[in-house]
Amino acid sequence: MQAQRFAPVAESSHSEGRSGAESAALVDNNTKTHFRVCRFIIETGVKLGMRSVPVATACSLYHKFFQSATLDVYEPYLVAMSCIYLAGKVEEQHLRTRDIINVCHRYFHPGSDPMELNGKFWELRDSVVQCELLILRQLNFQVSFEHPHKYLLHYLLSVRNLLNRHAWSRTPIAETAWALLKDSYHGPVCVRHRPQHLALTALYLALHTYGVQVPRGEREWWQVLCEDITRAQIESIMTELLHLYDLEAKCT
Amino acid sequence: MDRDLLRQAVSYHGQSLFSLLKCEQSENPDFKQVALDLSKSVNQRDKDDDSPVVEQFIARKADLLFAPSWKTTKPVEDEWQEDLREPFAVMPPLEQFMEASYEERREHFYRDVERGDIVIGRITSIRDFGFFVVLLCTAGDFERDVEDLEISGLCPIRDVPSTGNHDDPLSYYQIGDLIRAGVKDIDRYHEKLTISLYSSSLAPNLDRIKLGVISKEDLPLHYIRGEKVANDSSETYERLLDSSLGFSNPANVDVLIGKLGINDTQSTSLMRGLQSKHFMEDDFASAIRKKQSASWALKCVKLGVDHFKSGRHVEAMNEYNKALEIDTNNVEALVARGALYATKGSLMKAIDDFELALESCPTHRNAKKYLCQTLVERGGQLEEEEKLVTAESLYKKAISLDETFQEAEEALRKLQMRIQKTLKLKAEEASKEKEKQPTVETSAEKLRKILKEEKRLKKKRRRSDSSSVSSSDSDCSSVDSSPSSSRKKSKKRKHKRRRSSHGSKKHKKRVSSRDNRTPEEPQEEEEDEFPLPVNISASFINEKHTLAKLLSEEPEAEDRLKSGGKSREDSRGRFEDDPFELAQSSKTQGQHNGPGVNGRGRETEKQRWKSDDGHGSRKDSSSSSHRDFSRSRKDSSSSAHSEHSRKSDRPSRDDSAQSSYRGRPEVSEYERRDKADHRNSRGSNGNERRLSSGDRSRPSEESHKKALPANLLDIFNQIAEFEKEKKQKK
Repeated sequence: MQAQRFAPVAESSHSEGRSGAESAALVDNNTKTHFRVCRFIIETGVKLGMRSVPVATACSLYHKFFQSATLDVYEPYLVAMSCIYLAGKVEEQHLRTRDIINVCHRYFHPGSDPMELNGKFWELRDSVVQCELLILRQLNFQVSFEHPHKYLLHYLLSVRNLLNRHAWSRTPIAETAWALLKDSYHGPVCVRHRPQHLALTALYLALHTYGVQVPRGEREWWQVLCEDITRAQIESIMTELLHLYDLEAKCT
Repeated sequence: MDRDLLRQAVSYHGQSLFSLLKCEQSENPDFKQVALDLSKSVNQRDKDDDSPVVEQFIARKADLLFAPSWKTTKPVEDEWQEDLREPFAVMPPLEQFMEASYEERREHFYRDVERGDIVIGRITSIRDFGFFVVLLCTAGDFERDVEDLEISGLCPIRDVPSTGNHDDPLSYYQIGDLIRAGVKDIDRYHEKLTISLYSSSLAPNLDRIKLGVISKEDLPLHYIRGEKVANDSSETYERLLDSSLGFSNPANVDVLIGKLGINDTQSTSLMRGLQSKHFMEDDFASAIRKKQSASWALKCVKLGVDHFKSGRHVEAMNEYNKALEIDTNNVEALVARGALYATKGSLMKAIDDFELALESCPTHRNAKKYLCQTLVERGGQLEEEEKLVTAESLYKKAISLDETFQEAEEALRKLQMRIQKTLKLKAEEASKEKEKQPTVETSAEKLRKILKEEKRLKKKRRRSDSSSVSSSDSDCSSVDSSPSSSRKKSKKRKHKRRRSSHGSKKHKKRVSSRDNRTPEEPQEEEEDEFPLPVNISASFINEKHTLAKLLSEEPEAEDRLKSGGKSREDSRGRFEDDPFELAQSSKTQGQHNGPGVNGRGRETEKQRWKSDDGHGSRKDSSSSSHRDFSRSRKDSSSSAHSEHSRKSDRPSRDDSAQSSYRGRPEVSEYERRDKADHRNSRGSNGNERRLSSGDRSRPSEESHKKALPANLLDIFNQIAEFEKEKKQKK
């Protein structure tokens, strides 16, 4: 397995002491690791031609798994590969283990030749399949998620009708909101909030970014779309989301 | 960078954003161009929420967010149709939930409505210049809550399509009708709307939608849902969404992505590392898989080649097939397999493999070489099989592939020489064959020849004593002519019959008939009283001839008949003659044995066509025979059904039924068999009957034969009497 690359991470988590600051650093390191692994998942998803929803499922599986598991026991990249494989099955976009292994191998050894059909290949494949079973057990076989994507799309449709069509067509609201939503999967924010809230936040942020004036009546549009959310909540989610972008700078 | 967008963002967020932008995007050359413009439009906005985080984000990602290439969605311009299946949840306009104010909604409506939109309204008044409509809702993609806005539109009379008749088109409409119309013109300042019922007023993607009067069921879903919400204040957007069928559709994400024009497969992200330009084509799964398959297949091929060299062909083939399973159209595997096929002798398969290999890799040296060799070898095989032209084409192909291939050229030369030789031979043979042609014969033809010779002999004999032909026989001859025309096959039986035949009158008849119909020589031999021959194939062929002759003869026979009695004419005229009438007419003609005669006539008809009947005597009654002929003609041309019906027409006449059964002339053996089946199924006249009748017929035959001359004599006598009477009357 590709342990060499992650030895530093594992080492650092073990070698550091248990003081407060260092545990904060530890947390931070874990966060970074998770960020990197999620980046890995999303990248692999693109290379495998996965749609947005299966990728979201894979990330959600990963985050949920590590809510209860620890990094020093499980190899995160292997878990990630198995999450991708499992997500493909759950969301009906079936992927071959061969493709997953090929892409991952190339991710870690850029520019290399494809793997040979040798013992190592079969071992890797077996590991992926075994890990999948492990994930299933860890998650109590609850592997289907309500994703914010369909909420976002319906919200987009409703808000589009509120706005002038020309204003809509010249402002890339849909793309920005969609990108924001996809990027939110780099961190655990995606599993900590209701899908409606996430979708709403993404749309809110997109509209806010471009300074689009949405007409308001007795209630704001976002109050209508989701009854139980407050502006403060929206803003806190937004902050979490934007924090991820900052994290990117630190991790990569 | 999109200036308008930036301006909008900056004016929304204010100076703080602008300064941040300047800070973050200082290196961006695009921004520098825009910066000057922006500084003019910035004004300190009175914001109720100050979000530095957001502004920081915007500033950092401005190069992505405001890039013109960021806008990847394309407005979907397909046919819009009300999707009744609801692939996604259709929600009422948000305005309704938001409880926006009257003025705002009205203002927004007039701002946003465009020419070509669809509106639905109710007719409030009809004038002579058009009708007024108060809007209920909008349709198409433009969804607004307008019901209580009291927006009215006018549909002028020229925009009302005419109903076709020359009435006033407005009379078709009534107050209270629901109308779906297209917006033709908007006067935003005066808040006036002109609508039209013509599809031309609609936007191109909407023009399939029917305009005009609609019913309540045609109202758009969002309006219906909106009504529900209006009536039930506890219905929230969320609840409505969750309860919609379309929301549970697993594919709604894909549908909506298409509808909104979002690109889902490309990497759209605001993360720096996930920009699509960072993705290499080679890193994608499909590219890696291809390379991998090729290398795995190559390993198998190498193994296979080893097997091949050691002579283990079966294992080699297995390896090659395995390689081709891993990687179809793998060039090396195809070439190796082709070589194996060629060695084993399956040259066609080898050629296929080589050609396939060359398709993917036209410069493969081995493939070309092997292909040439195999083509030449195959050419040699074909040459042995005498397929010279194909061989030639193969040689030419081999040469075109590889000009230096000596063997191919030599083989081609040899082949061409050979072709010339064979052509010469063929020419000689052809000329020989023409000479030989007459010697090829079928048994039928032989038989015919024999008969012809006999006829000739007989002719000579008969002509010698034909001097005593009487005029009265002309009638009889006419009688004979038609029946005999259809009898082509009475060869063997003819012989027999002739021997046992009857008097000179018959001879006379024959002679006269012959005289009358000299052009139709072959038929002369066939006479009434001769029984049918055994069913041989030749007779089968001849049937058709006789039928054709029948058809050609019918008018002739008719003409002849006209010279006869009136009854005959009557009977002849009616093709659908009733059997009784036939019987009667035949009786008037002097046939004492009416049904019997008819039966006989039909019998004889049948005999011509059938194999197992031994009936001899042909009928004398011209009319009946003509009728039979006409019937026969019709029968032959009609389906078995009509024959059935005809048969059913004669249930009462036992004999006639029986004989009509048999009297049906048959065009083909199959029909005969069919008829036999039909007859069997009918049950009325079963096989037994036929057989028994066959038995009966034989004695009756004899009796008929004996009776015939008697009948004929009677006829002649009667005719003579008739004429005498005429003379007497005169």
